[in-house]
Amino acid sequence: MNAPAARVEDASKVYGEGDVMVRALDGMTVAFEKGRFSAIMGPSGSGKSTLLHCIAGLDTLTSGSAYIGDVRLGDLNDRQLTMLRREKVGFVFQAFNLIPTLDAAENITLPIDIAGGDLDQAWFDTVVETMSLRDRLRHRPAELSGGQVQRVAAARALVARPEIVFADEPSGNLDSKSADELMRFLRRAVDDFGQTIVMVTHDPKVAAFSDRVVFLADGRCIDEMEGPTAETILDRMKALGG
Amino acid sequence: MLRLALKGAVGHKGRLFLMAMAIVLGVAFIAGSYVFTDTMKDSFDVLFEQETSVDLVVRADVEFGYGSGRVPESLVESLEGLPGVAEVLPSVYGFAQPLDKTGKPIGGLGPPNLAYSWSEAEAELTEVVLREGRIPQELGEVAIDAYTASEYGFALGDPIDLLLPSGVRTFFVVGTAGYGDADNLLGATVVLFDVDTAQLVLGFWDEYSQIAIVADEGADPEQVQQAVQGVLPDGVEAVSASEIIAEGREGVEQGVGFFNTLLLAFAGIGIFVGAFLIQNTYRIVVAQRTRELGMLRAVGATGRQITWLVILEALVVALIASAVGVGAGVGLAVGLRALMGLMGMDFPGGSLTVLPRTVIVAMLVGTVVTVLSAILPARKASKIPPVAALRELESTYFKSLRLRAVVGAGIFLLGLALLLFGLYADLGNALLLTGIGAGVIFIGVSTVAPLFARQFGMVVGSPLPRAFGVTGRLSRENAVRKPRRTAATASALMIGVALVTVVATIVASAKASVEGTVRDEVIGEYQVEPTSFGSVFTGGLSTEIASRLRALPEVAVASTYRVGEWRVPGTGEDLDTAYATQAGVRSLIAVDQGADEVVRLGVSSGDFTDLARPGTVMLHEDFAAEEGLGVGDAFPIEFPDGSSEDLEVVAVYGADLFGSDVVISLDAFAGHYDWDRDQMVIIRLAEGVDPEAARPALEAVVADYPNAELNNAEEYVDKVASQLDLVLNVLTGMLAMAIVIALLGIANTLALSIMERKREIGLLRAVGMTRRQVRRMIRWEAVLIAVFGAVIGMLVGVGLGVAVVTAIGAGLQVAVPWFNLAIYLVLAALGGVVASVIPGWRGSRLDVLDAIAYE
Repeated sequence: MNAPAARVEDASKVYGEGDVMVRALDGMTVAFEKGRFSAIMGPSGSGKSTLLHCIAGLDTLTSGSAYIGDVRLGDLNDRQLTMLRREKVGFVFQAFNLIPTLDAAENITLPIDIAGGDLDQAWFDTVVETMSLRDRLRHRPAELSGGQVQRVAAARALVARPEIVFADEPSGNLDSKSADELMRFLRRAVDDFGQTIVMVTHDPKVAAFSDRVVFLADGRCIDEMEGPTAETILDRMKALGG
Repeated sequence: MLRLALKGAVGHKGRLFLMAMAIVLGVAFIAGSYVFTDTMKDSFDVLFEQETSVDLVVRADVEFGYGSGRVPESLVESLEGLPGVAEVLPSVYGFAQPLDKTGKPIGGLGPPNLAYSWSEAEAELTEVVLREGRIPQELGEVAIDAYTASEYGFALGDPIDLLLPSGVRTFFVVGTAGYGDADNLLGATVVLFDVDTAQLVLGFWDEYSQIAIVADEGADPEQVQQAVQGVLPDGVEAVSASEIIAEGREGVEQGVGFFNTLLLAFAGIGIFVGAFLIQNTYRIVVAQRTRELGMLRAVGATGRQITWLVILEALVVALIASAVGVGAGVGLAVGLRALMGLMGMDFPGGSLTVLPRTVIVAMLVGTVVTVLSAILPARKASKIPPVAALRELESTYFKSLRLRAVVGAGIFLLGLALLLFGLYADLGNALLLTGIGAGVIFIGVSTVAPLFARQFGMVVGSPLPRAFGVTGRLSRENAVRKPRRTAATASALMIGVALVTVVATIVASAKASVEGTVRDEVIGEYQVEPTSFGSVFTGGLSTEIASRLRALPEVAVASTYRVGEWRVPGTGEDLDTAYATQAGVRSLIAVDQGADEVVRLGVSSGDFTDLARPGTVMLHEDFAAEEGLGVGDAFPIEFPDGSSEDLEVVAVYGADLFGSDVVISLDAFAGHYDWDRDQMVIIRLAEGVDPEAARPALEAVVADYPNAELNNAEEYVDKVASQLDLVLNVLTGMLAMAIVIALLGIANTLALSIMERKREIGLLRAVGMTRRQVRRMIRWEAVLIAVFGAVIGMLVGVGLGVAVVTAIGAGLQVAVPWFNLAIYLVLAALGGVVASVIPGWRGSRLDVLDAIAYE
């Protein structure tokens, strides 16, 4: 069995002390396989965003370990983490994904430009086609619709061919049609290019696009589901009381 | 509302800190200037306040100018015999420069080298106090000021060489003196002799400078004055002691007043730059509080209330900062006095004089300027809609840039008009008008600047993307994305750079002119002049130098000239020319017959040799043209001794070397001035003599006169150039304060806009930008802004400088200081780098998670 694309082992993240102590993650162990589309779901305060941040190298665990591939994140300093993010990780956030002063094409190639690396033009074209952005490349974020902005963000995440893409409520701000469109594109990325995607969401319809859903509550992983549909997810959520 | 304002000011104190600093600095300078000069004035007043038993002073009736005139010795007898006269105390004053123990002249760089007679009886009139030893009583004895004694190591009984009109002579130090508790008088050296010695060595022979009279106890002062008046010859007057004291006070006030004006001018510049900074800061702060202010609107505050809130906040900050500034100003004055003391310029001590006027003016200026600067941003704040509380409004306001262009151009033209008016029209306060005109021009340019900010940034910043990839690209974009803000930030730097450029341009022009003039007009190979710029104060050259040089076989002609004052007869009003000095007193020069052999006079009409006739004058062609005078016309002139004459114009000349409109012969000069020292000797060598070979013989003569030096044309030009450079450096140093404020402004703006771009920076870090790259990005943004400000500043500065130089005229050549400008550009870029250090560091340390978290 290949090493998982990313995983945490006995991960805990604690904020504050004494009375105001918060256990965002409570000894969680979970792994995400390569080439699959995984979703993380749970109510507010379940730790899903925290998990994402810690496993992506944006935040540090209080105890336990986080891994991307074979690399243990706790061993890296800031510079190394930055390099890691540059080379191995892609991000799609809920909002503020793009640099307003750069156009879509430049935003897409941003991580590569920062690294000073060479662009694989053929791949770039493929991704752009996949995301249907060919005619919006020269536009600035202010001139793009919400859905287009998120697709550009997704394109950026894919163009660098990272080992894993983390998405935090990528369709959270979109209307249902744009959300649907975005999710289809992400699905294609996994199916056609073997990209690994780990996504946090609260929306069952969005989670239905994934191969596997992980349910969190109170900083722990409490359930999993393979091959979800919107109905089965809803049912499971009701059963879990979330 | 007030409470909200107070809480607001406290809450935002981080952002408002730099703004407060700018206010403190500007106010401190104003308060400091006033305190310093008031203290100086008061301390001099102390000297004049002493009770003196002298009732009258008899002296030559000199109307104006620097000369002091003389009274005949024989007068003493007549005065002694008068009823009601108890004591008659003659005194002599002049100049004598002490030499240090290695033979170098002491002082002479500005403050005079005073020499006068001092006796027990006469200690009344002067405020000199004996420190050690005793008052000199015979030939060979001298007392010197305490500062010179301690600084140059002269103890009682030591020999000291003094440079006198007649040459160098050795004396022995028998005492040291001070003024009140100051060791010297603002840097002037003082040597004191007894009266007879003073007469002898200062060249007075059978004359005195003045005679003081003490009346009998109980005698009627009026009657005594009448009696004295009766025995006085023409040209001699009797003045009451109180008048003398008043004159002394006035002299001090004038000098101090000038100093005060200079300091205030710099303080004013600091405040002007500060105003830019304050307005910019405030505008940004308001923009960042859009949400908060929107919320206030949402809960019912009106636009006008918001405006008041913002202004009130500014007011609170202004009041506190101004109060701190006044305190800092007092500290500044203390520091300034200590600094002057260190440089050898002492003045009588005492506590600092802090007048109510100082506090009021300083606080008023600080408060008013701040509030005025806050008005525009406050009005902007009132336009924030309530919905801003709920949504993130990325304000891409697109107010008409055309309106800005029109308004800005209008302001610029107004400033230009004021400037030209100040430079060319013959109004009273020319300097003030010129200054205001320049200020308005700055405002106009900064209003229009946003229109160029984008293009400039894109063009000048074009190497950035190539050099630093996307980091450079972002620097450039960030510098130009808010042109108004960029321009406002850069404008503060523009002012400082422009002013420095103006000074540099004027100095460069002066240097070029001197070089050109000397090259074109001087025929003589060598000149002898005082080591420090010979002015009437520092003694000039002994006439022996010229006569000894003439005796050398290598020398064909040694021509000398002197400088004196004149005035238009009448009320002392000035003529229609641009450069009349105070109260219409102008300067003239007196030359000997060899002048046209050492200088190309460029006589355009008439004959120079006619100047040898009595009652003649030669005029400069520009002056003659302005006054409508030509050869054969009568030229009315009043001399300092009060006599008026109509001189016959016998020639009109064009040379600029002497810088004088009016030229008379040395013989004529001797008739009206008793100044028997030369200003300069110009030497022309005999046919076939090699200048280098002749030099040792010339140097041998000059070596006997320690305050004189021999220069050829090149050396002379270099000397002038270095003196001008000194002025440039001092003024630049003083303007440095304005530049520092401007750089602080850049740092401030950067810091604030980084706060605004938190999310963006977080995103960049998330996708892999290192901390170093973030710092680099911010650094180059700062450099672009700084360079923008510097370039505009240089353009405006050169323009202003050229305008001023052209207006001064007087044969001044216009020269642009390219080398200096290049240096300023580099320094500005460096300044930008420095300004970006702290904001860059903080930007790179932003917590990535914090930055990308979404509420």
